[in-house]
Amino acid sequence: MRDVLKSNFHWVTLFALVFIVGLVDRNFWNIASLLILIGDFVPLFIMALGLTFAIYIGGIDLSTQSMANMVTVIASLYLTSLGFLVVPLCILIGACLGGLSGFITTRFLVPSFISTLAIGGVCYSLAQWLSGNRALYMDSEKRNQLFGWLLDSTGIAPNALFVGAFVFALMLFIERNTLLGRQLKAVGSAELAAVASGIKVQQIKIMAFAISGGLAALAGVLFSIKLSGGAPSIANGFLLPAIVAVLVGGTPLTGGVGGVVNTLVGAMIVTVIRSSMLYLEVAATHQQMVFGLVLIAAIVFTIDRSKLTIVK
Amino acid sequence: MLEFENISKSFGPVRALNNINFNVAKGEIVGLVGENGAGKSTLMKILFGSYLADSGSIRIDGKSIQFASPRDAMANGIGMVFQEQSLIPNLTVMENLFLGREAEFTRFGIIDKSRMAASARYQLAKVRLDVDPLTVTSELSFPQRQLVELAKVLTLEEETEGDLVILLDEPTSVLSEEEVELLFDIVNKLRSRAAFIFVSHRLDEVVTLSDRIYVLKDGSIVDEVTRETAEIPMIQSKMVGREIDTEYYKQDLKKPFDETTSVLSLKDISLVGLLHHVSFDVHAGEVVCLVGTEGSGREAILRTVFGILMPSSGTLQYNDDPAIKIKSPYDAVAHNIGYMPRERKVEGIFMSMSVAENMTSSQMQRYSHYGLLKKQAEKEMADAWIDRLSIKTQSSHTDCSRLSGGNQQKVVLAKWRSSGAKLMMLDHPTRGLDIGAKQDVYEMIRNMAADGLGLVVVPDTFEEAIGLAHKVIVMKDGRVSEEFDCDQQDVRPLDLIAAMT
Repeated sequence: MRDVLKSNFHWVTLFALVFIVGLVDRNFWNIASLLILIGDFVPLFIMALGLTFAIYIGGIDLSTQSMANMVTVIASLYLTSLGFLVVPLCILIGACLGGLSGFITTRFLVPSFISTLAIGGVCYSLAQWLSGNRALYMDSEKRNQLFGWLLDSTGIAPNALFVGAFVFALMLFIERNTLLGRQLKAVGSAELAAVASGIKVQQIKIMAFAISGGLAALAGVLFSIKLSGGAPSIANGFLLPAIVAVLVGGTPLTGGVGGVVNTLVGAMIVTVIRSSMLYLEVAATHQQMVFGLVLIAAIVFTIDRSKLTIVK
Repeated sequence: MLEFENISKSFGPVRALNNINFNVAKGEIVGLVGENGAGKSTLMKILFGSYLADSGSIRIDGKSIQFASPRDAMANGIGMVFQEQSLIPNLTVMENLFLGREAEFTRFGIIDKSRMAASARYQLAKVRLDVDPLTVTSELSFPQRQLVELAKVLTLEEETEGDLVILLDEPTSVLSEEEVELLFDIVNKLRSRAAFIFVSHRLDEVVTLSDRIYVLKDGSIVDEVTRETAEIPMIQSKMVGREIDTEYYKQDLKKPFDETTSVLSLKDISLVGLLHHVSFDVHAGEVVCLVGTEGSGREAILRTVFGILMPSSGTLQYNDDPAIKIKSPYDAVAHNIGYMPRERKVEGIFMSMSVAENMTSSQMQRYSHYGLLKKQAEKEMADAWIDRLSIKTQSSHTDCSRLSGGNQQKVVLAKWRSSGAKLMMLDHPTRGLDIGAKQDVYEMIRNMAADGLGLVVVPDTFEEAIGLAHKVIVMKDGRVSEEFDCDQQDVRPLDLIAAMT
């Protein structure tokens, strides 16, 4: 019973929250506004999906926010000249820098929280340098022509939701049905056993960080399109809720279990929390505090203490 | 002064200690011998407060007592000199000696180093060790550190009222002959202040040093002898019991192997500090068992063959093909070598993955096509092996964490069998399994041999080695000490012990 409750804790949390918030805030059930709220959340959700892989193998990626920041700058700068190609370019840059974090982690045995923090610093500086440390604006004509659809709705569903759904489906497919997904699971589940099974653990870990970096970059692109511009710190405030979405969804820091479905649930939980904060008129400056507290609570509930002997 | 009465301890279904009665008199040196897994360390840990006994009582000077923690045990005059040394290498000798007790040397929160050093010199004199207390511990030799460890235990003298009981856990396993003599001399001199419990593999040393010896087997004390009546062969036979000739290990089930096909050949393999000039061959269908004490190089051989460790010299030849070079576990798996590590839960099995996923974990390429998993084929293969090995699981989708240890072990073996392994490295394949599960694993090992696989096994017990192996290789200090051909001669556990020590 305890086990069942624990492994479905994310669902229980989601339904309890929806129930409570729904009781207090009658407007919560206005589906159209709810969908807009969720649509708003797509860039963060995509970042969280990528982060899921880094955490799934027992690591962490702290560079995602800086990566997204940098990409908003790159996207704003090159949209005019490159057009739609700016999207794959940004994803490629993100994947390469993510892979570099992974390489540093596996090759030089630098813990991932340090290597990704360092790469995050590099991204932040690059963003400052590329932007001349000021806010950039996209060529609005070009943006509307290429990505205007993204800001529209189909019926009552914002089109951004479909992008989110597509990326989610793709990641779910990778996780469940591909060789890479299985290898990631093996590495997260028991790294030593993966070594003893002849799995190239280092490559797999690098791939996990590359996915994380690539999706963080995609999140940055979507965010800059939404805001029609970019700046080196525009996506600040993404990291904490993204980590919360992964952990509250039930992928523990120790890795091996959970996955992108958990992150979907976790992202919904974060959305509900944010919606209730809007309702309760919690000032934007206070929201990070709430996410910080939720993060700690999420870790306390999801951590597998049998895997830990020492916590530093 | 110290009495154990009817002490029992179980770990889950496994009974580690069974109604142990054990006592130590003032000034006495008591030996405790038994095979690996006989319960020696469990008994020591209960005495030292690391484990609580399930039943029975412990008395010191007639007073009933129960230790909740090592700290508690030390406060009552029980000290332990650990087999794996417990000193912290980057602290100085005196810091180690008084670790956790610095408060005795502080004034206004500042440690009075000269007073601590003086105190340390006094303690070191007890074990006649002449080193500067300010030396960093890692700079001392191993025997010196052992003496520091002993001195650390002896600091309890000033802390407790009664006499000390000091547990010596395999203190001699890495000492040279002269160093052992020095240690024994010191221990004998200390008798006036302390009683000792001496745990060791080396029977000759136990007999030399101890006044009385307890023989432990399968969690029970099977004999108690005094120094006058102690004879090594007799103790040995009590230790290993007499079950070797029974049906249990079914020696006669061994099939002859193919002497013409070598699947593995080690020539003069050395690995700094671990192995020295090790050579032997494994043929198709042959089971080779490696026996020896902990650290004798058994595991290092398995890990070297599997590509985890790299030999510093010598050649490894696989399948009689000099072109095959194994530089990583990935290479090993690609050349059909399997490895079942000792720590099943961390290295052997993926607990949060299903039975089917575990079985394909070493052959994912085969169960995928252009990067996509072939789940149907995976399921069919898993179902077939679940059936073939009678693995008790709800389905092939069940997580391995839900299986019993024996069934987990079957899953690991199925993984290598299904992937077509030709050479298997098995490290303690029956560790922690109950008798029934052990039988199953033995049967699988015999079947693998019958199917022409070469197997190198590090067994749990001597009986296991003799029951399974065509050839037993006895390791000592990283060298092959002796080879026994079980087909040619009737090998007894005593022969193996003699070669080990």
